[in-house]
Amino acid sequence: MSIFDYNGGGIVAMKGKNCIAIGADRRLGQQMKTVSTNFKKIFRMQDNILLGLGGLATDIETFSAEMEYKLNLYNLRENRKLKPTAFVSLVSSTLYEHRWGPYFVSPIVVGLQDGTPVISTYDSIGCTTDTENFAVAGTAGELLYGLCETYYREDIPAEELVEIIGQILLAGCDRDALAGWGGVVYLLTTDNLHIRELKTKQT
Amino acid sequence: SRRYDTKTNAFSSDGRLMQVENALEGINQAGSSIGILTDEGITFACERDVSSSLLELSKHSEEIFCLDRHVHCVVSGLAADANLLIEVSRVHSQRFRYSYRENIPIQELVRHVCDIKQRYTQVGGQRPFGAAFLFGGWDKTFKFQLYSSDPSGNFAGWKAIAIGKNHVAANSFLKENYQEGMTMTQGLDLAVKALCKTIDTTNPSPDKLEIMYMTKNEAGELVAKTLNEKEVLELLQRNNFQVKQKE
Repeated sequence: MSIFDYNGGGIVAMKGKNCIAIGADRRLGQQMKTVSTNFKKIFRMQDNILLGLGGLATDIETFSAEMEYKLNLYNLRENRKLKPTAFVSLVSSTLYEHRWGPYFVSPIVVGLQDGTPVISTYDSIGCTTDTENFAVAGTAGELLYGLCETYYREDIPAEELVEIIGQILLAGCDRDALAGWGGVVYLLTTDNLHIRELKTKQT
Repeated sequence: SRRYDTKTNAFSSDGRLMQVENALEGINQAGSSIGILTDEGITFACERDVSSSLLELSKHSEEIFCLDRHVHCVVSGLAADANLLIEVSRVHSQRFRYSYRENIPIQELVRHVCDIKQRYTQVGGQRPFGAAFLFGGWDKTFKFQLYSSDPSGNFAGWKAIAIGKNHVAANSFLKENYQEGMTMTQGLDLAVKALCKTIDTTNPSPDKLEIMYMTKNEAGELVAKTLNEKEVLELLQRNNFQVKQKE
């Protein structure tokens, strides 16, 4: 069994019209045993940048802490906020720093740069893919892909995007034994960040 | 004993570290800084060391530095020495946050900087840092705190303190006029009065002063604000200073 499958999870992100949404399940497991139903996999790095992480749970926690560390120092030294495209590169270079002892994570960075949505995914050692439409991560990733392809279209308005991501997440994670147990969707628009918790069976 | 101050780490014959004392002398020539602790928070007021119209105004302060979201510092002395220690503090604070997922307690941060300063008074034959700091912040153990540190590596907690030029006069002024239970506004008034005592002119100009405060808002969140020129002007006028308007 792969180290990426040990804790389980499903993350999905999608671009909309001047907005972006990212959703994740809430399960933390140890192989077949569910240990927590409110494990955080999406982190608010900045007002306009979110980081979603699939993979090994301990690395999800530590990697997000390392990114926060670097981001805070950037803010203090530069006295300005980080641009989403710069954060995308920062994640990539941080992952490569650990090339020979990597973080077992599948990151998705989601941001709004001057109103334009930005999504990037990576492998565990920093190979960046800037996607045009949506991105998935976690054990439920492949399952989420199918639903994304079906429901994606250009310029989805924000209210609809939240709904779509919620439905994709729930349906996709339903088919994966290691992902689910609730969900959370973050909708990022130019005005604010809206967080919606999804109710599933047994939450 | 004059012969002994060439070696930075050696005691003089009367038991003093001349290099440390020289560093302190340097700071007493530098632009002054005042810190006041009130029940509502902390205020810092400093005099800008260099104020020339040729200077490209940096977007941020020359004297006031954010070390982390819950702690700020002001500097008197050699800017270059101070900048290095500020970088050290920032990294130390972030490392703490990385390990404990919490704000670093203020005293720990101050102690870390001071330990480094002390090292240069005892080890290596290098000169001490020519910078003194006032640290101010909030943590859950001791709430709002104000500390000063000097080139010897010594630090102390204060209710009100002045460092830099004319600090003796400013400190005696603070001692007479400090009261327990002041509001932030009263703290700002006291700070600006004390600062104007240290500056040579009787007509202070807002572009020479940098004033900031840290307090908690209604939601209980810590906020830090640097007064803009207009607000400094209002503060000066409220305290009956004749303000020299700049062109």
